[in-house]
Amino acid sequence: MEEWKPNPPVKPHKKRSWYLAWKYKLMNQRALRKLCQTGAVLFLLVTVIVNIKLILDTRRAAYEEEEESAQDYDDEMLNVEVPRHPVNNKKVLDVEVYSSRSKVYVAVDGTTVLEDEAREQGRGIHVIVLNQATGHVMAKRVFDTYSPHEDEAMVLFLNMVARGRILIFTIKDEGSFHLKETAKNVLKSLGSQVAPFLSWRDMWTFVGKKGGEVYGEKHAKSPALSTWGDPVLLKTEVHLTSVEDAECHWPDTELNRRRKRFCSKVEGYGSVCSCKDPTPIEFNPDPLKDNKVFDVPVAVIAGNRPNYLYRMLRSLLSAQGVNPQMITVFIDGYYEEPMDVVELFGLSGIQHTPISIKNARVSQHYKASLTATFNLFPDAKFAVVLEEDLDISVDFFSFLSQSIHLLEEDESLYCISAWNDQGYEHTAEDPSLLYRVETMPGLGWVLRKSLYKDELEPKWPTPEKLWDWDMWMRMPEQRKGRECIIPDISRSYHFGIVGLNMNGYFHEAYFKKHKFNTVPNVQLKNVESLRKDNYETEIHRLLGEAEVLDHNKNPCEDSFVPDTEGRVYVMFIRMEQEADFTTWTQLAKCLHIWDLDVRGNHKGLWRLFRKKNHFLVVGVPASPYSSKKPLSVTPIYMEPPAKEEGAAAVPAVAAAAEQT
Amino acid sequence: MQKINRNVVLALLSLTSLVFLLFQLCYYKFYLSPKNGAAFSKARGSQSGQDSTRWHVVRKFLGLISSHNIPVYLIDPLILGLVDKDIEQIRSSPDGPSPECKYFCAPRDFTTFALLDKTWKHDVGLFRSAEKMGFQWLKIINKDPRLDGMDDLSGMEIPLHYIFKLASHAIHLVVFYERSGNFLWHGPLRLKQHMDRKFVPFRKLHFGRHPGAYEKPELLLVSIDDLKVQIPKNPSSFLEEMSHSRFLECRYREARAFFQLYPDDASLDAVEFRKKAKSLLHLAALTLNNLGVKFWLSSGTCLGWFRQCNVIPHSKDVDLGIFIRDYKADIIPAFQKAGLPLKHKFGKVEDSLELSFQGEDDVKLDIFFFYEEDDHIWNGGTQAKSGKKFKYLFPKFTLCWTEFVELKVHVPCETLQYVEANYGPEWKVPVKTWDWKSSPFNVQDNGIWPIDEWDNVIQIF
Repeated sequence: MEEWKPNPPVKPHKKRSWYLAWKYKLMNQRALRKLCQTGAVLFLLVTVIVNIKLILDTRRAAYEEEEESAQDYDDEMLNVEVPRHPVNNKKVLDVEVYSSRSKVYVAVDGTTVLEDEAREQGRGIHVIVLNQATGHVMAKRVFDTYSPHEDEAMVLFLNMVARGRILIFTIKDEGSFHLKETAKNVLKSLGSQVAPFLSWRDMWTFVGKKGGEVYGEKHAKSPALSTWGDPVLLKTEVHLTSVEDAECHWPDTELNRRRKRFCSKVEGYGSVCSCKDPTPIEFNPDPLKDNKVFDVPVAVIAGNRPNYLYRMLRSLLSAQGVNPQMITVFIDGYYEEPMDVVELFGLSGIQHTPISIKNARVSQHYKASLTATFNLFPDAKFAVVLEEDLDISVDFFSFLSQSIHLLEEDESLYCISAWNDQGYEHTAEDPSLLYRVETMPGLGWVLRKSLYKDELEPKWPTPEKLWDWDMWMRMPEQRKGRECIIPDISRSYHFGIVGLNMNGYFHEAYFKKHKFNTVPNVQLKNVESLRKDNYETEIHRLLGEAEVLDHNKNPCEDSFVPDTEGRVYVMFIRMEQEADFTTWTQLAKCLHIWDLDVRGNHKGLWRLFRKKNHFLVVGVPASPYSSKKPLSVTPIYMEPPAKEEGAAAVPAVAAAAEQT
Repeated sequence: MQKINRNVVLALLSLTSLVFLLFQLCYYKFYLSPKNGAAFSKARGSQSGQDSTRWHVVRKFLGLISSHNIPVYLIDPLILGLVDKDIEQIRSSPDGPSPECKYFCAPRDFTTFALLDKTWKHDVGLFRSAEKMGFQWLKIINKDPRLDGMDDLSGMEIPLHYIFKLASHAIHLVVFYERSGNFLWHGPLRLKQHMDRKFVPFRKLHFGRHPGAYEKPELLLVSIDDLKVQIPKNPSSFLEEMSHSRFLECRYREARAFFQLYPDDASLDAVEFRKKAKSLLHLAALTLNNLGVKFWLSSGTCLGWFRQCNVIPHSKDVDLGIFIRDYKADIIPAFQKAGLPLKHKFGKVEDSLELSFQGEDDVKLDIFFFYEEDDHIWNGGTQAKSGKKFKYLFPKFTLCWTEFVELKVHVPCETLQYVEANYGPEWKVPVKTWDWKSSPFNVQDNGIWPIDEWDNVIQIF
């Protein structure tokens, strides 16, 4: 209170006395003084509170302001993000495995991961591979070991599975008839006690870790040949390991990250997931000089055959002149594993909701894929169309680069295809030779954008029409007399055995012995002679130089063609009109080439090789080249087989459709 | 003792009160005053006129992308604006050292660059090196519109924008995609829920509010402020293009729903008509673009785009709109030269002008000229035999780009209002019998042409 002193106001006494008077008064009135003090404290407290509130308010206002500023840029679709499942810390998995004559199932922690009770299906040994750290299903296979050779496939598969994975086996119906010693030994080495003694119609379940402990095994012996063993249900627990133990320790590169992601999800791809010496997933083939197809998009049409897709993409990415950025894989359906394969190779993949069924589904998938390809690459004039069950030749792009200008300039061309329908081991010889053919072979081909956009896309068969896209494309309304260019030796190889219209027998008969070029950098011969008019000149020259074979001999006999090399021979067969292929079909049959429908013809002329000689077949009189026939020669006529056999061949033609 | 205590308490409270008062002042200064003036970040970032932070960040960024062989080009409108003023000098001395930092030193939050998607390989190494250099980065991905029009395809999402932030400056990298129709497209910038809304002040970005459509630019390598950058060869035309680059995607989902209700006509006639209409539209677009005349899809063609993303097969003609201020006398000879003879000409430049050209096989190209009033826009119609005039009223609209039958064309941005004005609220229902004099929702009688003008305003060839 001293500070008041040095600065006395004008009337100090009065003021001072007033102040003091109050002071004393207050001092005396303790209660009042206390009240004042409390009031002051309260007042100060209120100030503090108001201040805090103010601070909070300003802050909120500022925050809202900023929120608002970003609002324009908010995604309109409120992505309701599903909260991620908390990391499963559970260390033990409950596994249930059931084996019986008509039904098998496997449940992991209460989730059914396999259930098969379909009739006449799924016979044999079902195998499931689980990740030992996460418990996720990495592979699911069934090997029909009742049939021959399936046990070999199973051994191959089991050998590919990485050590430490959890393997689950269960038998449906019958799985021992063709289960050979080797396979039994492999199962034994996995820890199975029963496998070596598995016999006819036994039921069996087994859970074990590859190269480690056995979690359980159950077996029910079949009492008699005519009956099955009793159903068995195995319930067991599997102890999970840590994630680190389940992974390989590859150097940390971008490629290995992709590899790691892939290998922790799926199994059955062999050395790509090998810890010690993984197979490369980047190939860097030599670039092509003057590559005219570097900017041409490549559409890979795929379904749910991830192992095929894996093999296909490996060969494609190893082909010289490949441009991975132009590759798009179109997957028909929301399948995860094919997408994993696509991502492993760092390519882009697009999934397609299936529309319609069977052949129409394939057809709709093709349409969507082609349209999307031209949307994604609006500059492209062409697109290369491949399927997931093809091996691609090392000089595939070199072949296209040398021939693509023809497709651009020659309007009488429909496509360039890498596949020669008649190019088998014994009928194809010259990797530098090209043909013009009236049929569209598919199986690795180039499509012109203008053809697709102006003609095919608007008319494409609608989903309710159960047509094959390729049969449709071969119809005269679409093809309009145009031709395709094909090589003598195919630049693709059809390895698919499982497919919509494909089975092992069919594949063995028609595809296995197909010739496939493995020579890099083949320089194509005389590409210009493939133009419409030049080709006629070329054919006339060939026919002019060709030696006429002895038409009295049987054309099916090997001796029909002399034991020479590098000569040109011609034979004439009967062909009453353009659509008369009676004799040709018989000839094709006995030559063991494609005989299910007519392929590879050009104006009634077929070109192939026999005993390393160029072998021409001319249909007389329908072919314009009939004039080359010497008068003395009678065209060969071959009887079609008896009626019923002919009828049996019809469904086979339809079956051949999609894959060819 | 008690007294001292009380005094201490009082003093403490007064002190707190004072401190809070100070806080209050601070908050006022930092948060409330910039609200009225510039922006929040100004207080945090740089204030001085010359700032080299930006220049350094840009230089670092250019170094980063050139070490990864990624060709970017500058599209920052503010810098291009400055560059445009000195373009002659910059062109003539592409390598000269610059005396002062003129372009990259003005204090801004962003510098904007463009990247053509197909020129880089989505190399993740870029981001790792960026992080090593101290950049924070944000990637904005979204659906690929090139697959959107397709039934049931789901591809991977594609990157639309990248933002690289270092210190107080950010680089906005806009990814351009090639679309059918020979143009470049960039996507809108939309933040997903989990994204950091304060990564940068998004509101101030120059690109991303809407998707945009651009021509493929010719580029020029220049050295400005001692930095070598690619810029559009003609900055002023790029800026002009940018000012109306807004792009509208066709409403594919609604179109699919429409086709569910009214299955598409897949007959051969329909296929043929669509093919002809498409080629006619391509020819018309080429002709008008060469003349530099701005046009848009109108009437039935616009309805076809809006409702079904395709040409309406029963519409039998192609309709375009042009503002009368863009009219050029060359239009008629240009079309004739392109092989489209004039079929009829109604009205005159001052009133109700309408041109019709004869395309291949009975497919007609109708060009309507639009007259702007204060609160509406209209075009006219004329009945040849009676000389009656009609008027079609539309609410005011602006033009946006879209992609239609593999062509980059204009449509009214306010398409719904435009179509509703023309076809009424029932525009979603296909109508096969259409009378241009009575069916349109917005038609009005507009008197009769004076007889003495007929020769001029009703010309049929």
